Amino acid sequence: MTLPGPETLLFAALITAVVLIAIVVVRPSLTATRGGKIFAFVAFFLLPVLCVFAAGSQHIENSKQTTFCISCHVMGPYGRSLYVDDPQYIPAAHFQNHRVPADEACYTCHTDYALYGGIQAKIRGLHHIYVQYLGTPPQPDQIKLYVPYNNRECLHCHLGARSFMSNAIHMAIMDSLKSNEMSCVTSGCHDTIHNIDSLGKVKFWSPAQ
Amino acid sequence: MSASPANSMARNLRIAGTLLLLGLLVTIVSLIWKSPLSFLMFAGIGGLLVLLGVALYLFSLASIASESP
Repeated sequence: MTLPGPETLLFAALITAVVLIAIVVVRPSLTATRGGKIFAFVAFFLLPVLCVFAAGSQHIENSKQTTFCISCHVMGPYGRSLYVDDPQYIPAAHFQNHRVPADEACYTCHTDYALYGGIQAKIRGLHHIYVQYLGTPPQPDQIKLYVPYNNRECLHCHLGARSFMSNAIHMAIMDSLKSNEMSCVTSGCHDTIHNIDSLGKVKFWSPAQ
Repeated sequence: MSASPANSMARNLRIAGTLLLLGLLVTIVSLIWKSPLSFLMFAGIGGLLVLLGVALYLFSLASIASESP
């Protein structure tokens, strides 16, 4: 027997709250008794507050999904670049080989692995939603990172990994990597990233193959 | 002629309940429809309606308590 997931529990709590509230709305006289007052407090305060916090948390989880990120038209080419059939494309190689969770690929590489990094990522996400629906979205090829890509995000997973640590070049430049003096992705080593300008000239991998 | 405390409470409960029901239904829809717009729908409409409903309920409780001798 498997336990229901958090999303199932949330829906159960939401439906329970709706039913309990509807009972009080239809029969407010129920609250005349002590038991009725406790019933109303649960229905009108405890359950709705719990549901709103849980729903907010679920929305934050949903916003980490790769499908969520690439649902905006402007991010389409970046989503396609995950399927390029060329291991030189760093995001594609990570996505296709599950070096990052495939269903949270964008978030895994583009969040900040620092104190409050997740919150900063969410604030940036809200800004993206604002630009998408209330501002003027840029063309895909005009999208730039807010700050240069921090090696910290790469080292979060790779530091200590056997294949990374056994590479003599990595070990020789480790201090420069840790201090961001030398970038993993723009110093000529792993510099084929999304490269959406060249998507028309490359082969694509299909998971069904 | 002012309404009795019991009638006033019943009216406030109905209004608060309606706000809560609408807010929770919007929240359910926003969770089923997974898109960036659904988050705005939750934060801007669903969550706001629920908070208004809870606030009205607590306000009506406080009003009744202050009217009690």
